[in-house]
Amino acid sequence: MIQDTRLIEIKNVCKRFGETEVLHDVNLYIRKCEFVTLLGPSGCGKTTLLRILGGFEMPTSGEVLFEGKDVTAIPPYKRRINTVFQKYALFNHLNVYDNIAFGLKLKTPEQMGCKSKKEQKEEIHRRVMRMLKLVKMEGYEKRSTNALSGGQQQRIAIARALVNEPEVLLLDEPLGALDLKLRKEMQLELKTMQQQLGITFIYVTHDQEEALTMSDTIAVMNGGRIQQIGDPKGIYDEPKNAFVADFIGESNILDGVMLEDELVKFHGTEFQCVDEGFAPDEPVDVVIRPEDIMIVGADVGMLTGTVESVIFKGVHYEMMVNTGAQRWKVHSTTMQPVGSQVGMTIVPYNIHIMRKQKEA
Amino acid sequence: MKRSWYASPYALWMVLFTAVPLLFVCYYAFTDASGAFTVGNFTKIAQPMYLLVLWDSVRLAFLCTVLCLLIGYPTAYFLSGRDLNHAQSLVVLILVPMWMNFLLRTYAMMTLFEDNGVINSLLEAVGLPRLHMIGTEGAVLTGMVYNFLPFMVLPIYTVLKKMDYSIIEAAEDLGCSPLRVVTRVVLPMSVPGVVSGVTMVFMPAVTTFAISRLLSSGMIYLVGDMIEDYFISMNNRNVGSSISLVMLVLIILSIGLLRKVDPDNSGGGLW
Amino acid sequence: MNSHRTSRFLKGTWLALVLAFLYIPIIVMIALSFNASVSRAEWTGFTLGWYAKLFQSRQIMEALKVTLEVAVVATAVSVVIGTLGAIGMHAMNAGMANVLNTLSYLPMTTPDIVTGVSLMLMFVFTRVPLGKWTMIMAHVTFDTPYVLFSVMPKLRQMNPNLYEAALDLGCHPAKALTKVILPEINPGIVSGALLAFTMSLDDFVISYFTSNTDQNLAMIVYSAARRGVEPTMYALSTLMFIVIMVLLLAVNRRSGLENMG
Repeated sequence: MIQDTRLIEIKNVCKRFGETEVLHDVNLYIRKCEFVTLLGPSGCGKTTLLRILGGFEMPTSGEVLFEGKDVTAIPPYKRRINTVFQKYALFNHLNVYDNIAFGLKLKTPEQMGCKSKKEQKEEIHRRVMRMLKLVKMEGYEKRSTNALSGGQQQRIAIARALVNEPEVLLLDEPLGALDLKLRKEMQLELKTMQQQLGITFIYVTHDQEEALTMSDTIAVMNGGRIQQIGDPKGIYDEPKNAFVADFIGESNILDGVMLEDELVKFHGTEFQCVDEGFAPDEPVDVVIRPEDIMIVGADVGMLTGTVESVIFKGVHYEMMVNTGAQRWKVHSTTMQPVGSQVGMTIVPYNIHIMRKQKEA
Repeated sequence: MKRSWYASPYALWMVLFTAVPLLFVCYYAFTDASGAFTVGNFTKIAQPMYLLVLWDSVRLAFLCTVLCLLIGYPTAYFLSGRDLNHAQSLVVLILVPMWMNFLLRTYAMMTLFEDNGVINSLLEAVGLPRLHMIGTEGAVLTGMVYNFLPFMVLPIYTVLKKMDYSIIEAAEDLGCSPLRVVTRVVLPMSVPGVVSGVTMVFMPAVTTFAISRLLSSGMIYLVGDMIEDYFISMNNRNVGSSISLVMLVLIILSIGLLRKVDPDNSGGGLW
Repeated sequence: MNSHRTSRFLKGTWLALVLAFLYIPIIVMIALSFNASVSRAEWTGFTLGWYAKLFQSRQIMEALKVTLEVAVVATAVSVVIGTLGAIGMHAMNAGMANVLNTLSYLPMTTPDIVTGVSLMLMFVFTRVPLGKWTMIMAHVTFDTPYVLFSVMPKLRQMNPNLYEAALDLGCHPAKALTKVILPEINPGIVSGALLAFTMSLDDFVISYFTSNTDQNLAMIVYSAARRGVEPTMYALSTLMFIVIMVLLLAVNRRSGLENMG
């Protein structure tokens, strides 16, 4: 599905609001038909980046290319990009039908490939009805937007954007206001729609789970910088730095020293690992996922500690194990009683070594 | 005692001093000086002379409302914009004169417009001929607009300010040029504010008597002046009541008509 | 970006013109109140003479007394009636409250001149002499809804269990009112009172029709203006302007100008 051509390129984009730098030298390219998620905590600059793509903000420096052409200064109404806004931003002076038809009605008959006004009207009707069907809102066309639930408003907002057949759809935390169950449903529906229509989606969220389920590519952002770009599995399995590791999934993060290739020392112990190419004795961040720690007998573990707490999390138990110098988060399908002594082992390829981040 | 009974003095007062007096207007309008029933008061004011006064009042009030809308709408729109420094203080500045007694404001206007007033002194100082302004329709109209403009700005401003800015961005996103954003989204969405504003300007404008009297020295005679004369100087309360009643009915009808445009009455008005 | 700057400049110019239109007459009037010359045509020097003359005029001092008396009494009465009315309406079922609500809007939607005339007719019919007391009754009528509408939101914000908690703890209903409800809605009462007082000071049309023997300041301004422009009136206008401004600031500190009335 995803084509190799670069549809959008963001080059060295910086954005300042007064004294504060919101985006710092952001570089990113987006391919045709790709589902890209900008993921990060609030204030990381993801929404600003999206607004620059939509044309609502101008970058302080840098440029945005669309099919190789500079569109940095093109106003939103001249871009072949549509947006689904955070709080839907439906026009409540118009009914559902007119909301969806809004963008089409602004076009001339010729722009829609129609010979006459009448033909255009029919075409608009056809397209609006198709959209209503796509977002499963048939029969709602005459309703007032005020009378819709949050989930329904969201569907109308999506239909209103998609009906214009944009090259790119921007979605700014579109599911944030919905309850958990509805959110899960909509995630799947959005993904299906994107694949059916073959449109590039750029999706902003702070919900890592959402990002992992829906995206082809995730760009993790923090402090106005892109921390890592990659596919969901790559980002989860091979986080590039401690921030990404901590933000995506759960992690134990420790200070360590790289003694030589494939040998790291942390927690006062030397461990075999698979990373190489560090300077001798270089200080590093060591990241270990809770599910990668295996509980073994107290006498055979690489580390030993006392179980401090146990919580049942549905499919696994989450335990906090204290080894004196460190408290470890461990996921296991077998429960160990609180207060018991346990041993823990970690296989080399589950020890992730990361260069220390320079303070941003 | 139930707590809802606390409202009884209020209910009693409001019935006694708002509803009952209106019944007295009806009573006087349909009786003659001796208290006998008559429709003579109405046939009297159906004469062309009276109708002309009514027509003049409606015409001037309409012009005043249109002018207030033309000046007030852009003002409210600019004030509600995001790219303005000190917008909040500007809003207060524009609304403050609303709370100054309208006689004082009209008095200030007189000072400017009089034959030997400030404008004419300035004209003379730069060598231009003096203008005769008091008594002209222009002076009365300016006085009305001057008095009622803030009442148009406030409700429109309130509605525009409450509007979610992402609505405007959504319109741009869907292909609206800046001009089309205004005509397709901002204007239709501010209809409730416009309705309140029009009501708040038209009603006092059509019933005014002091403004026309002071700025035209009696040359321009409006319904309000006529009511004042019948009640105060001519002491003919029956005819006065019939004029008041006709005016009240006209106003209620026009407000009812306006409300059709904004059925939920969601305008940010004073009432 | 250039077009952006142009549009900001145009907006600024427009607003500046509107402000000039609104303020030049007021500023001219205030300036002229300090002008030694009777004529509006020339500035012959600074004087406080017109202000002195103002305070020496028995008619104006009398009108000031009437204005204040009417405003104070009308405010006091409407605060009591309006606050009780709000508490009662809050406890009412929706149907009754709706009727009363419509009644409250009546004096606000009826043109002032009709309100004035209708009250005058009732007073004349019942042979109540038109003077200070009829003026006070008329003022209470248009002041009370403002008190009611200032208190009402505070009641809605109040936790409904508060009153019941007081009863539960052994408070007599009347005592629960003064001990629990009144302190909660006090800010609304104060801004309602300030608003009513301002409206009272400011009123001309209704006072004009409901009082004969006693004149308030606005009525003095009207009769003086009908005779032509006179500098003492500038001084009076300037003072009235300043008083209203101060009152408005007081209300504004409590609620914000846009919510007033």
